[in-house]
This record gives sequence, C-alpha cells and structure tokens, in this order.
Amino acid sequence: MKKIGLRRLSAIAAVSLSATVLSVMPAHAATTIKIITPNYTDAMPAYYADLNARFEAANPGIKVEHTNLSWDDILVKGRTLVATNSTPDIMNLNTFSDYAAQDLLYKATDIFDAKTLADFVPAFIDNSKYNGTAYAVPDLASARMFFYNKKILYTSGVNKVPTTWDEVTAAAKKIKAKYPNVYPIAIPLGSEEAQGEFAIWAGGNGGRYFDDASKKWVINSKANVETLKYLTGLVKAGLTQPSPASTNRTDAFKLFSQGKVGMINASVFFPSTLKDYKSKVDYGVAPFPHSATGKSITLGVQDYFMAFKKPGNADAVKAWMNFLFSPSNYAAFLKAAGGFIPATKSASSAVDSSLLPFINQLPNAIFYPGDLAAWPKVAGTITTQVGTGVIYDAKGVLDKIQKVAVAAGTK
Amino acid sequence: MTAISLGGNNVKKRRPANSIISALPWIGPAILLILLVVVWPAIELIRISLTKISSAGALEGFNGLGNYKLLFENPDLKTIAIRTVTWVLSVVFLTVIISLPLAQLINQSFPGRKFVRWAMIVPWAASVVMTSIIWKWMLELTSGEFNLTLRQLGIQKGQPVDWLRDPRYSFFVLIWVAVFVSIPFTTFVILAGLQSIPHDIIEAAQVDGASSWQVYRRIKFPLLRNSLLIATIINLINVFNSFPIIWALTRGGPGYNTDTTTTFAYKMAFVEYNMGPSTALGVINFGFIMLIVLIYLRVTKATRDQA
Repeated sequence: MKKIGLRRLSAIAAVSLSATVLSVMPAHAATTIKIITPNYTDAMPAYYADLNARFEAANPGIKVEHTNLSWDDILVKGRTLVATNSTPDIMNLNTFSDYAAQDLLYKATDIFDAKTLADFVPAFIDNSKYNGTAYAVPDLASARMFFYNKKILYTSGVNKVPTTWDEVTAAAKKIKAKYPNVYPIAIPLGSEEAQGEFAIWAGGNGGRYFDDASKKWVINSKANVETLKYLTGLVKAGLTQPSPASTNRTDAFKLFSQGKVGMINASVFFPSTLKDYKSKVDYGVAPFPHSATGKSITLGVQDYFMAFKKPGNADAVKAWMNFLFSPSNYAAFLKAAGGFIPATKSASSAVDSSLLPFINQLPNAIFYPGDLAAWPKVAGTITTQVGTGVIYDAKGVLDKIQKVAVAAGTK
Repeated sequence: MTAISLGGNNVKKRRPANSIISALPWIGPAILLILLVVVWPAIELIRISLTKISSAGALEGFNGLGNYKLLFENPDLKTIAIRTVTWVLSVVFLTVIISLPLAQLINQSFPGRKFVRWAMIVPWAASVVMTSIIWKWMLELTSGEFNLTLRQLGIQKGQPVDWLRDPRYSFFVLIWVAVFVSIPFTTFVILAGLQSIPHDIIEAAQVDGASSWQVYRRIKFPLLRNSLLIATIINLINVFNSFPIIWALTRGGPGYNTDTTTTFAYKMAFVEYNMGPSTALGVINFGFIMLIVLIYLRVTKATRDQA
C-alpha cells in the first residue's frame, strides 16, 4: 500500500514539474485518510472492510487506510502516533479531551450538519464537549448493573437480591458458607478497568472523582475513602476473589462465566460476552447496590469518534464520518460492536429488549469527567493505583491519586 | 637528495590520515548506522527529557530539569529502584549458579546429549513473550496446570494460590521465569568455556591423583573466569532491560508492586500518560546501561590483554 502511494506521489511530482502537462492531472488528487479503531469484538475488522470498500466505491477521490487494533494496543499505539506527529485522520477512542485542549481536533459542527448532530443522545454529546464545544461524537455507550448467579444466590438462602452494601455483605457470607469454592463477589480492581469498578461502588455512596459544582477533584473525599474501606472489608473477610488489586475485569468475567463467582458488576455487553464464553450460568440483572446513605446509580461510559485537523483532509474525514453515521451503516456498526447502547436517538428506538433495563438506568447515570483535558492522565493513575487501596491504607492511596489529579489541573 | 627525503617524510606523516580516509568507504556505512540508530535517538531522548511535554505528547518548550524533579519527587521511585537492583542481582546470580552444573552436564557425553542440548536452547530461541504467556497459562488461578497439579497431588488444599496476582508471590514467580529464559544462553556460554579448556591439563591433574571435584575446583572453574564474566555482564544488561516477562505476566502490578525502572518508565508514559518524568527515567535507564557496557568493554579488554 505504502509503496504504491509513494510511487504515485513521485509520479505526481514529476508531472507537476512540467507545466505543459499539468492539465492531465485529475481534478481531485486522491486523498488518503488513515483511520484507527479498536475492536469491540472480533466482528469489527470485517465490518470496516465492507464499509470502507463501499465508501471508496462511492468516493473515488478518497482512499482509506484502516487499522484495527485491540483496546490494549490502541491505547498505546493510537496515542503514540499522535505524540510523535504521525497523527491519523480519524480515531475511535475512550478519551478525547487532551487532544481537544491541544487544538488537534475538528469541531463536531465542522463534520456534521445540525440535523445529524441533533440526533445524538444529548447526554452523550454533552460529554463530548471541551470548554463548551463538542470536539468529538459518541459512537456507543455502556451502562453497568449488578449481575448475579441465580443458582448460587438462591440455593445459599439469599431470598432477595441485595440492594444495599449491608445486604451484599450478608449475602456474600451466606454464599461462602454454602459454597467454599465459590468467590461470593468479584471485585476486579486490576489496571484494565479499575477506574470503572471503583467509580460505580463509590457512586452508590455519593462519591465522585470530580465535583462539577466546585470544579475540584474530590478523589480522596470521605465518601470515596469509606467506599474503599468497605471493599477492603469484603476482601479481608475472604468474600472476594483473591488479589482484587491485580484482577482484571476480563479475568473476573471469566470466573463468573465458569460459575465460580456469585455477584459481579458488569456492563451492558456482558450477556454477549457470556455467550462468547459458552457460559451455562443462569444470571439475573439488578440495579447496583448502594450504601445506607447513598442511592443506586449506574456508571455511564461512552467512547468517541474524533477527526484530526490536517491540511487537506477536511472533505475526506467529513465524508467518511457521515458515511459511518448514516442510519444503516451505524446500525451495522452497533451490531458488530455487540450489545452496546446506541449513541443516536434514531438507533435507540430499535434496540434489542435485553438492553432496556440498562437504558432505563441511564437517568441515574454518573459519568467520568471525560471533558477535562486532565482526565486521561488522572484515569490512568486511578487504574494502576486505586486497587492497591485494598492492600495498603485506603486513605493514603486515594490521597496519592488526588495529588496527581490536582497537579494535572482542572481544565 | 633533500627533496627525495622530504618527500619520504611527507608520505610517512600523511599515512594515518590517508588510512582513515581510505577506510571510510568500508566503515562509513557502519558509522552512519550507529549515528542514526544509537547516537541520534540518545540525543533526542536527552533533549525531550529537558522539554515540557503534554499528556497528548505535544512538546511545550524547554523545561530545564523539571521532569527530573518530578521524577525524584515520586514517592514510589525509591522502592522501584531497590526492587530493580534486587531483580537484576537475584536473576543473574541464580542463572549463573544453575547454569554452571548444567553446562558441566551437557559437556559430558551420554546417549541423547544432542536432544538435551537442543531442548535446552528452546527457551532461549523462543520469543520471550510467548514463553511468558505459556507461564501465565500454567500459573493461572483456577484453570492453570500448576495449581491443578498441586491440588491433585493433595499438596494444595483450600483456596488456590494466585501466583501471578498476589504480591506476596508474584515477584518471585517473575524472577523464576526470568531465570528460566536466561539459563540457556548462559549455559551455552559456559559450555563454550568448558570446551576451550585444553584436555591435557585435565589429564595431567588426573595423573597427579586429583579427584574430579579438585579438577573442577582448581582447574576448570578458574579457567571459566572469562566466560563467566561475559555471561554475567550480558545477563546484567538483558535482565535490567527485561520488559516482556514482567509486562506479560503482571504488568508491574498490583500498583507498582512488581515494576522495575524499565516497566515503570513505560507505565508512566503509556498507562498514566505522565510523559515528562518517564523521559527522565528513560535517560537514567540509558545511563545505567551505558555504565554496564563500559564495564563490559573494560573487562573484555582486560581479558584480551591478559591473553
């Protein structure tokens, strides 16, 4: 691919040297756009291959160089490309704000017309704003709920699905008494997704990472310290899987799928994951438990599509993004991504009924402060550090993260 | 006469310069390559470490020693530095101690020696990431072969041990895997040393009535000095730089509990997006490697001069 591109480039250069033949150049020289996306599922590469083939057929002047990466890889490679000035034209990622702060991105209004923009779910487009302007668009979202293994719960004498922390502890003790080889509750605080696991527990106690009203980081707030201490209590009592600080979400999901876990926090796509694992576990879904003083919340997480400003790429990225978000292509995107909440109103009306409990939770959703340029850095530190709070001193660990967050700023 | 002798002198004086110039076409590409892939990145690394750098990777102007200050203010750096030293020394020590008898063993002739030598080289020839992932599978909590075997033998009762995630065990597991992948290379360096020992010295000692332990202790071991030194120093560099084993097995976690300065530099840059201090640590790591390389050059020069 690259070689042909270079050869063509030098051919064009040679041609343009002689003014007499300039007129034979095509009116639109081919523009190549580089797109990097994560694989939500293994179906994504095939989806994009088909999408790009149809896009190139409909837009003869535009070539697409598409790279599909695993989430692990895109977080490193995608960011490295930007950091080393090999910026792609379009990227699908879980953060956007520091790129917006760096003025690297097109505004959403540069890419989409008002009608298309109005079709995005307002809460999700609000989360895509930096300093009040949308620099990215949501591609899908997830919400989380409390999953439990029906057989384990009911046969351990737990008659009611726990709704509060005390009930969670009581249920976990009953499960442990009945099934010594089952981990009553899985708490994955490993670096894969610790920021989400902690956020949903803390959220049920009124704890947040960032206080929107006072515009301050509140990572070491009393509510958060209490939460981490409660989780530590579960760990110390042997009611969780061993070493929560280094258990990744994927590991915990696998344990649940094998029937070795009683209760777990999981995302809207978990049912399709269980199907992939060929799990025979009969599970139930309930609102997430909260503390005595808190109320049940869900954690809303969304990902973003963003287009990078590069000379001459405006028309091409605009064409591709609008092609992707056209109703039929976007519906196929959601299908390939597997069981997420749609980011547009029009697609929301046609969702699978299994998604409804999650969509119903969205009014109680808390979100990450993803609109802050400091968020990627703070989130990164939370992922590696917060889990150690169940090994060491909860307050000390949260103080340490708070310090990093304060240094990273509140813009 | 005078003119001729002057001419002769001139030729003599010019010769060194001449020979360098005439050698350039041969050594030039190599020098260019070294400048391009070693010197230039090193200069860039140092330059960037003195620059303020955003989490998105944009360079935001000269920052003096600001990145270094941030790095040394990090409360975790000290523990990680101590762990790095422990990691390097224990892996290299254990590797050498285990490789010495192994080299002795495969130096003997026995049926199937070829097969044993071949089997021994596999962990070295295989990709380290692959080896690490196989160990990860074996040590997995509920489905790993290691825990399953322990349970079937009745050694492990109650809850299975989480070898890779429990910070009480994970660092030792990492050391073991690093030793495992370092043994083949070390053994073969020592084997080469053993094979270079002239047979007549050993025969002479045996004729004088030396026991086989005495032959090893007084003759073979002292003559292995050079190969041992080289094996040790190359292992020091390899183990210090060792990234894939730690990253594939524990990602340096939980927290920074199994990080060395190498994985910590990576984690800061690409997980915590804390680019500045990471570049500073990169420079320090580079300096450390240069130091070991200098020692290596000294040692090999000394042994060459001796020879």
